[in-house]
Amino acid sequence: MIYFEEALRVLFANKVRSLLTMTGLIIGVGAVIAIQVLGSSMAGAVNGALGNMADNSFIVAPNGVQGNFRRAAIKLTDITAIEQDVPNIEQGIPLGGQNFLIQNGHHQARYFLTPDSSQPFNDSPLLYGRRFTSSDIADATNVAVISYRSYQKLFPHGGDPTGRSIYAGIHRYVVVGVLAAPKRGFINAQFGGDITIPYTTYVNQYVHDGVAGAARFIVADASRMNLTEIAVMKQLKVLHGNQKGLQYQTFDKSQLTKGINGIFGVLTIVVALIGAVSLVVAGIGVMNIMLVSVTERTREIGVRKAIGARRGQILAQFFIEALLLCGFGCGMGLAIGLSIGWIVNQFAIVKVTGYVAPLPWVESLLIAGAFTIVVTLAFGTYPAYRAARLDPIEALRYE
Amino acid sequence: MNNQTPLAIDVRDVTKTYSMGSLEVQALSGVTFTIARGEYVAVMGPSGSGKSTLMNVLGCLDRATTGSYRLDGVDVSELDDNRLAEIRLRKLGFVFQGFNLLARTDALKNVALPLFYAGVPGRERTAAAQRQLAEVGLGDRAHHKPNELSGGQQQRVAIARALVNDPAVLLADEPTGNLDSKTSEEIMALFATLNARGRTIILVSHDEGVANHAQRIIRLRDGLIVSDGPPAGR
Repeated sequence: MIYFEEALRVLFANKVRSLLTMTGLIIGVGAVIAIQVLGSSMAGAVNGALGNMADNSFIVAPNGVQGNFRRAAIKLTDITAIEQDVPNIEQGIPLGGQNFLIQNGHHQARYFLTPDSSQPFNDSPLLYGRRFTSSDIADATNVAVISYRSYQKLFPHGGDPTGRSIYAGIHRYVVVGVLAAPKRGFINAQFGGDITIPYTTYVNQYVHDGVAGAARFIVADASRMNLTEIAVMKQLKVLHGNQKGLQYQTFDKSQLTKGINGIFGVLTIVVALIGAVSLVVAGIGVMNIMLVSVTERTREIGVRKAIGARRGQILAQFFIEALLLCGFGCGMGLAIGLSIGWIVNQFAIVKVTGYVAPLPWVESLLIAGAFTIVVTLAFGTYPAYRAARLDPIEALRYE
Repeated sequence: MNNQTPLAIDVRDVTKTYSMGSLEVQALSGVTFTIARGEYVAVMGPSGSGKSTLMNVLGCLDRATTGSYRLDGVDVSELDDNRLAEIRLRKLGFVFQGFNLLARTDALKNVALPLFYAGVPGRERTAAAQRQLAEVGLGDRAHHKPNELSGGQQQRVAIARALVNDPAVLLADEPTGNLDSKTSEEIMALFATLNARGRTIILVSHDEGVANHAQRIIRLRDGLIVSDGPPAGR
């Protein structure tokens, strides 16, 4: 296309001017895309970290801020009652923890011993062995699934430890599974207890006063989880005699996701604002330089018209010049934004979270493309229209 | 060229009035003349005589206020801007005093520009432009940019550009105004050659020596034709 060829020639003939005009677009698009890349890699990292979390169960615990924390503690009988009375509840699992010196021969370390069911809240992958089976739960067997860091501490020589025993005080547990090492970074590091045993075993051995403290409930229909959570908290208050000031709180994956999405929502608004402002500023720059270009080349436009160029052909020429100016600017912004996003992602987010999110190529290209089109249409049309409307006689006379 | 009408230009009672605020200025006060195909006509007159206005009307850059103008058999008096552009593209070739070539663009591309506006495909454009450059004697300068060419050469490129669409009329406005006398002679010789090959040429000049190259001189004064005939001494 001769229009592109001519427009390129003009832009390259005025390199400094073209580059300065593009700066606004480069910075604007670069900033928006960098933030976009970071946002999506953060979201990817968080999703990666939360990916193993069950979305069909929630945790309920007494709210820690209330004065009399103990009277609100959830009892085993509460769990049984809720299992029976609250609709949509499939299973209730007491939560808790006992700090023990865990031993394997002379290898030992202090860990919390925690209960879990055959459907763990955080189903992270296993390095060795298996999870608890429903018969482990039903029979309250003395088995344990251990975390990767406790595996390293208790079995420093490595190898498959399943079938071997570890000791906590007077109790002995057969290791049946080892969790895989968590991804680098803090988000995933503390999910899943270090030493978990079937919750039935835990109740038998450690819950002698019938008080679990907190509980986890598995629901049949995850879409009605919110209502079920409210019903459970209400039932707990009833079970505790509706005493004044009783407070419970729940925690589930959707709450976590909602919170994170809220942060990204704010981020998106900020990005959109930066984008809109830089779009207008850069667009005014483009319009200004295109008007200068039209004025400078008034005589040339006159000659083109005398030769026989129609209005549409003059319009197309200047429109394409604006389009290329915007296109180059946005293209450079795209490259810079992606580079910045990639660098920060590689050296910060991946280090912290351990999750590698792919660069959002499609979104970034769409953003840059949309910027190009919007700025060109909004700010390139008027100068091109002015060029097309010039009177050939006056234009030819222009010095 | 078609031969439905022998007249390249047929102007009848053309007037042109400009309004400058409340003041009305009549640049052309009713001119009538015809130019046959293959004629070589010079338009002369002092400044303010209506010479430029007539040139603009003949060049379809402007419309007459009253009167009719037929160019190559087509009535162009009432055409809109885009139709006039089409007429300029197909039927007219312009040569200016200041050459008016596109800077930073080589001779070949300058000559090919009207063909682009006419929608001729790229390969044909290049071939036709190359042919036309050869015809004005610049076949070996096709890839020189205007600033690498002398004034005379630039004007030859401009002439090639004016002719590349095979127009009915070649309009030259002071084509030697920026050239030294030797180069002027070369350009005038080129016009003579083109005319000898049948090209209709209208030359606007205030230089008698230049105008005397034409077969016929139309002299204007105060918006009227004061004389129309062969140059003195012929």
